[in-house]
Amino acid sequence: MSESKFETVSGLMDNYKQDVEKLDSVLNEQESAQRWENYHLIGDVLRDDTPESIRLDLSTQIAQAIAEEPTVLAPRRNKFIQATKAKVVQLAKPFGQVAIAASAAGLMILGVQTTNVAENEQSVPHQQVIQTYPIAGVADPVSLNYQSPNRAAQKQAYIEQQRRFQALLADHNQQVKLSAVTKEASNNGETQAQEQVEDTPK
Amino acid sequence: MKLISSLLLLLSTSFSAIAMENEQAESWLKRLSQSLNTLNFNTSFVVVKNNQAEPYHWFHGVDETNTELEILSLLNGPRRDVLRKGQVVSYIEPELPPYSVNANHISGPIPAIYRQDITALIENYEFISVGRSRVLGKSAQLIRIVSRDGHRFGHWLWLDMESGLPLKMALITRKGQLLEQIQFTHLEITEKPAESLNQLANAELPQVLTLPDTEKQPFAWQVNWLPEGFERIQSNRHRVTQTKQPVEFMLFNDGLVDISVYVNPSADKQRPMEYVMNGATVVLNQVNNGIEVSVVGKIPSVTAKAIADSIAPNAAGGQ
Repeated sequence: MSESKFETVSGLMDNYKQDVEKLDSVLNEQESAQRWENYHLIGDVLRDDTPESIRLDLSTQIAQAIAEEPTVLAPRRNKFIQATKAKVVQLAKPFGQVAIAASAAGLMILGVQTTNVAENEQSVPHQQVIQTYPIAGVADPVSLNYQSPNRAAQKQAYIEQQRRFQALLADHNQQVKLSAVTKEASNNGETQAQEQVEDTPK
Repeated sequence: MKLISSLLLLLSTSFSAIAMENEQAESWLKRLSQSLNTLNFNTSFVVVKNNQAEPYHWFHGVDETNTELEILSLLNGPRRDVLRKGQVVSYIEPELPPYSVNANHISGPIPAIYRQDITALIENYEFISVGRSRVLGKSAQLIRIVSRDGHRFGHWLWLDMESGLPLKMALITRKGQLLEQIQFTHLEITEKPAESLNQLANAELPQVLTLPDTEKQPFAWQVNWLPEGFERIQSNRHRVTQTKQPVEFMLFNDGLVDISVYVNPSADKQRPMEYVMNGATVVLNQVNNGIEVSVVGKIPSVTAKAIADSIAPNAAGGQ
């Protein structure tokens, strides 16, 4: 069947008259249309009659590539994510500044962890924080509309939590330092304590 | 009969071997304490936890008047120095104006007990002499300080066989996971104290602070469970410096490890347990029925959780 179809195409090339029916079938079928194109190309090459650049079916390839191109969608999505991130950063900024003012040291202790969070969120649950969010909060099926406020809230909670941990760690270190003092005071400073006791009734 | 006697012999020899190893470990640790207190040394070390490294420089010396002089500096980030002249320890930190306190040791990355009587730990920890290896280009003796119960981490020490000084330290979980380590990167033992220590001897240290007497107010909360051997060495009410949150505070110590417990009312009704590990230091926080409990210390998170869960209203109504 297909053999005869190509014979028709071949015949048409050589200016043999064909049935109208066959002619229609050749025109309507993609395969034979391609054959037709190829035969002409072969003829052109044989006659040394090719156009300057052989386009083959570049036009269709390009059209297809554009249609399938994934990068067309990606910039839009990125913009969206960046916008939400920027909002979170804006929210986070005041806290960050407070933290810097309060203690550069505290930041030094946990700073690396927080910067890592921004870079690689995935690693956080495994390495630093375990059971950070209630399990239900993560498993909740959230619709697209609610996703970004939820994420922002979670980030906010995360920042709060990091601040809390940082403050506790710094305070613990401070108290340990001071405990060395009180131990010392209780060892050789009994007289001091007594003096204070005597002082109070007066 | 022969078989039994030979078995007995084997058993007794192995027991005595273990006992000997423990004794050996203890004498190594005693030597460590002696070396840390009497030698003039100049050393650098790096504290490695999670994905960060903190480098320190440490000078120690004893001058002609038998006064111990010490300088411990953090080399990265804002200046953080600790100076010690005998019983006066000065802290130079970015958060506070420089201050001095009366204490007989520096609180730093190296536990103070290593410079004191190590036998104070014997109730809660076992000392095991493990083997030899090469650390910092020197032959080192590895000593493990292993908790007698499962509620604490293990402390490993690599000691210089020549001087008895530490070359490396590590905190290890019971499963053998490394949490935090201190690697010495340079060690120099000299006959006389370093020049910077002589300068310190002549320098004037900041005013010694007298701490306000801890209030004898009744405490509303008490800890009902702690691993064996932890004793309360401090309790007070204060505000957490960074958050200004008023807390009821208790500090416990087993000779080697400090645990802080914070209790305060919270705006949240309920918050599930959250924690982070900063090296080997766990910071755990939870809110139960509007009461926030936090536990901080170099202990496993499971232990911290058990302590946090044991918080209850003080039955005695204060002390």
